[in-house]
Amino acid sequence: MRIEEGKAVSPSKSPTMADGVERMDNESIKPEKMFTLKKWNAVAMWSWDVECDTCAICRVQVMDACLRCQAESKRDFYGKQDCVVVWGECNHSFHYCCMSLWVKQNNRCPLCQQEWSIQRMGK
Amino acid sequence: MITLSQRLKKQQDQGVLNNRISVRDRLLARELQELAQVLPTNCLVNHDNVNDLSSFMLIIKPTEGFWQGGSFKFGVNVTEEYNMVPPIVKCLTRLWHPNISEGGEVCLSLLRQHSVDGLGWSPTRRLNDVLWGLLALFTDLLNFDDPLNIEAADMYRTSREEFQKKVNEYVIKYAID
Repeated sequence: MRIEEGKAVSPSKSPTMADGVERMDNESIKPEKMFTLKKWNAVAMWSWDVECDTCAICRVQVMDACLRCQAESKRDFYGKQDCVVVWGECNHSFHYCCMSLWVKQNNRCPLCQQEWSIQRMGK
Repeated sequence: MITLSQRLKKQQDQGVLNNRISVRDRLLARELQELAQVLPTNCLVNHDNVNDLSSFMLIIKPTEGFWQGGSFKFGVNVTEEYNMVPPIVKCLTRLWHPNISEGGEVCLSLLRQHSVDGLGWSPTRRLNDVLWGLLALFTDLLNFDDPLNIEAADMYRTSREEFQKKVNEYVIKYAID
């Protein structure tokens, strides 16, 4: 509320201010600028919306490219490393590349031994 | 054109092979370091060729149990598909043990590649786990009920003293440094 009042201090509404009155004659409608914003530094914080785990198969953070993709420096059409994360129904997450190699042999989560089924994929 | 495409394919295959090796070696470099950090004093890791991390010898000297006083060498071979497959472990010292054959085959659940229970190999396991597994074969994991060397297990059931005697004979004959 105070700020509102401060903003409201314009020549038109406070005719008691001496130079306010003067200017009112020159620029009849335009309110006087109390201050100008010259520089503004915006700071943003972010974090992953999931727990940022290490892939238990290749031991690299799931949000980074897996060890295999790093070694092969695989990149997609846009030049980004295309190594996504996969979450199982058991809520364990791995690199998709790592997990797809493992399920070929044994369709179980290597951490909890539950039958592996994909809950979601992505980053 | 055909030769070119064949050539390209060959190069690609070669590339894939090289990369698999490099993945294994990257994993190994880290795991061998971890292994060195936790290695108990009665164990030793020995690389014949320091440039080849994938093949080494693990020497275990049990400090308790039937095989106390012996020095048992295990050859560990980490194949290119590691860690999707377990390392191949062979016992190079002849011994009288229910779970290790006289030929050197080791019966340890975590070294099994295909297993339906949760005890077999999994890519979350590391060389450390292999070491602890092998060490435990001389103590906690020693299993007379599911033997590889049936004769040894039968002998234990009939007479513990006889079993210990035979173990000692083998130790003196084959497993003294």
